Amino acid sequence: MTTNCVEVRDALDAFLDGELPPDQRARVRDHLAECVDCARRSDELEAVSRRVQEALVQHRAPDVLKARIRAAIADAAVAPERPVGWGWLRYAAAGVLIAAVSSAATLVAARRTAPERSVASAVLESHVRSLLPGHLVDVASTNEHNVKPWFDGRIDLSPTVPRLDSADFRLVGGRLDYVSSHPAAVVVYARRQHMINVYSWAEAGANTAPVSSESHGYHLVSWRSGGVEYWAVSDLNLGELSQLVALLRR
Amino acid sequence: MGPSQVDRFEALILPHLDDAYTLARYLLRDEHDAQDAVQDAALRAFRFFGGFRDGDARAWFLAIVRNCCRTWQRRHRRDRLHTPLAEDHTTTLAAADSADAVALEGSERAAIRRAIDALPAEFREIIVLRELDGLSYADISSVVGVPVGTVMSRLSRARRRIAAALAQTQEAG
Repeated sequence: MTTNCVEVRDALDAFLDGELPPDQRARVRDHLAECVDCARRSDELEAVSRRVQEALVQHRAPDVLKARIRAAIADAAVAPERPVGWGWLRYAAAGVLIAAVSSAATLVAARRTAPERSVASAVLESHVRSLLPGHLVDVASTNEHNVKPWFDGRIDLSPTVPRLDSADFRLVGGRLDYVSSHPAAVVVYARRQHMINVYSWAEAGANTAPVSSESHGYHLVSWRSGGVEYWAVSDLNLGELSQLVALLRR
Repeated sequence: MGPSQVDRFEALILPHLDDAYTLARYLLRDEHDAQDAVQDAALRAFRFFGGFRDGDARAWFLAIVRNCCRTWQRRHRRDRLHTPLAEDHTTTLAAADSADAVALEGSERAAIRRAIDALPAEFREIIVLRELDGLSYADISSVVGVPVGTVMSRLSRARRRIAAALAQTQEAG
C-alpha cells in the first residue's frame, strides 16, 4: 500500500458520492485503474452504499398529519388578522384539507354520483367534515360534567358521556351535528392522534347489536339501544374502536 | 402573513412532508413522536418562512425538522437514546435458517436495517440525508450544522460500521 492508497481510500466516499473537485476526481480514477486493492475497496464501498439505499424505507406522512399541518398553518396565517379574511382563508383551508384527505375527496365524488346516501356515508362525511379546523367541537372539555349538561335543551336526548381516560380514550368535547336528517349529539374522544366521533340520535325500533363496517380507510360501528341510534367512526383500527364501543355500552 | 405567503409555503415546503416524516421516523424511531415533531417543525418553518429567500427549500425544511427532533429527544429523554447493541442481532441471525435464498436476502436487508438503527444518531441522520434524500455534502452540512469535512468523515465511518455489521452476519450465516 502506497501513500497514494491511503489518500485515495480517505477520499473514496466523496469520490463515489460525486463530491470531489475535478482534479482530485481524476487522480482517484487513475489510481483505481491501476491498483487492484483500492479498486476492490471501491467496489465494496459502492455495494454497501447501494444496499443501504435499498434497506432504507421512505415513509409516507399520514394523511391525518398532513391535514393537521395544513389546518394549523391556515390558523397561524389567519391569527394576526382575524377580523379580515378569516372566512375566506378558512374556506381555502377546508378545501386544501379535503384535497389532502384523499379518502374524503373520493367521498365527495361518490356523493355526486349516488343521490341516495346511506346513513353510513352521511356519518362518515360528517366525520371528515368535523376534522376541518374549528369544526370538531362546540364545547371543548375533558370533563364529562361540562360536556353532558351542554347538550341539555339543545337536543331531545341526553348522550352518555363517560370519562374513559383510564382506558386511554381522552374526552375532547361535544358538538351538535345534523346527519341524515337527524339532529345528532356528537361526543368526541381521542386516542393517540386519532379522533373518534360518537353520534347519537333518537330512533325508534328494537335494540341492535353493534355492526361494524369499513369505508375509505375509516371504521364505523353502529348499534341501537333504548330508542337511540349510535354511530362511532374513526380512522382508528377496528379492534380499538370496538373497545371504545364496548365501554360506551357498559 | 397573507394568502400569497401561505400559497408559497404550500408550494415550496409541503411537498417535502414525506421526507420530513421519514427523517423524523429514523431520528426518533417512533411514529407518533415523529408526527408530533414534524407538525412542530412545519409550524416553526411557517413562522420563519419570511426569512427563507432562496436555495434548497427541502434542505432548509429538513434542518428545522432535524432540530425539532433533537429538541423533542431532549425533552422526552427516555431510554430510547440507548441503542441496542449490534452484537445482539448477529446471534439471532446465526440461529436463523440460511438455506432459503429469499430469506437470506431478506435477512441481509434486515441486518442492514438493524445496523443503521444501531448507529449513533449523528451518524444515522447523515446516512438518511445522503442515501435516502440524496442531499449533497454541502446541504447535509447546513442541515446538520457541521462542516463539510465532518459530514464526510461521519458518512465514511457510518458506512464502514454498516459494512462491518454486514460482514459479521455473513460470517455467521
